[in-house]
Amino acid sequence: MARSNGGIQDDILPGLGQGIPPDQEDLIDENTILVQRTLRSGQSIRYNGNVVVLGDVNPGAEVSASGNVIVMGSLRGMVHAGASGDESAVVLAFRLRPIQLRISNHITRPPDDESMDIGHPEMARIKDGVVTIEAFQTGGERQVKVT
Amino acid sequence: MGEVFVVTSGKGGVGKTTTTANIGAGLAAMGYKVVLVDADIGLRNLDVVLGLENRIVYDLVDVTAGNCRLRQALIKDKKLEGLHLLPAAQTKDKTAVNPQQMRDLCEELKKEFDYVVIDCPAGIEQGFRNAIAGAEKAIVITNPEVSAVRDADRIIGLLEAAELRDPKLIINRIRPKMVRQGDMMSIDDIIDILAIDLLGVIPEDELIVVTTNRGEAVVMDQSSRSGQAYRNISRRIQGEDVPIMNLEEDGGFFNKIRKMIGLK
Repeated sequence: MARSNGGIQDDILPGLGQGIPPDQEDLIDENTILVQRTLRSGQSIRYNGNVVVLGDVNPGAEVSASGNVIVMGSLRGMVHAGASGDESAVVLAFRLRPIQLRISNHITRPPDDESMDIGHPEMARIKDGVVTIEAFQTGGERQVKVT
Repeated sequence: MGEVFVVTSGKGGVGKTTTTANIGAGLAAMGYKVVLVDADIGLRNLDVVLGLENRIVYDLVDVTAGNCRLRQALIKDKKLEGLHLLPAAQTKDKTAVNPQQMRDLCEELKKEFDYVVIDCPAGIEQGFRNAIAGAEKAIVITNPEVSAVRDADRIIGLLEAAELRDPKLIINRIRPKMVRQGDMMSIDDIIDILAIDLLGVIPEDELIVVTTNRGEAVVMDQSSRSGQAYRNISRRIQGEDVPIMNLEEDGGFFNKIRKMIGLK
């Protein structure tokens, strides 16, 4: 994972050697930025690539990325993944409680009366043209592709 | 053509945002078309108090910068038909708009709404200057505290310098019991210093905290005294002559006894 926007480097997948096996090409992605702090109200990140936040995103803060957004904490603010039109972008957070969640040109907000707390990471993505939120399970993605 | 009000105080935390929300809701409940403008760019709160935070797509700065049309940024209230919000931007600061842009914005809003109510930021700097730029009338909020009254006095002076004549006063969070005991400034003490017309007095009420946290307006609560106070203010704004309510009633039974034995 590159910490700058220097693009893809050969050494970002240590142990794989020079060439990347063709079946793992989808592991290579565009730029990713690592934000090592909590984003507070009024702070915002806009990035042409993926954004990983090692902290929380508080209400009033905004994260906007052309790629995916991953929050290793509570996501309580506004998030926009696939901001330049990528419908396959996802939003993943340990606690997914956004004020508003946007993927590409879809805008969603949580229902007004919800307040229950789910104790596991969740992922939002566009499924059949609708933004869906589901429990995040490792490996699930790959299995779907194999079968 | 509608009227443009600015709600201001100088000091922070005296209840500008709560008052803006409740006056707006009160006027909308009477059937008027109302838009609330949050001019507190960078520290927006009005959307949270109204419970509309999650509906924001465009904001005031987007409108003034020409990123969207005015209509796209206006958010309809969940419950009240005629109530609308123009939210502030949160990730910008006060320099993102200038007084001329605010004047133009208010002119445009006036054409469509009966009342435009602007929630002013605390302070007397650019945020304040932006907020009052498009206003035709001013409502000054104060608390029965020396510091809040001092700041209100300063604000009234600045409003007069900006040609906003005859501001109206709202005294918020008054506690009749403390006033009676001589521990709090009375309505008369405050008017004595500020010498402007009184628009209303709102008693301290825990229900304000409850409703604000829920994103509701206390003015819609028919049984509360603070709600009644805000309803009275809304009626006075639209021209009705409503007497200032007697705050002493809130003691209920014991007050009646006190009255009987002539303690009051």
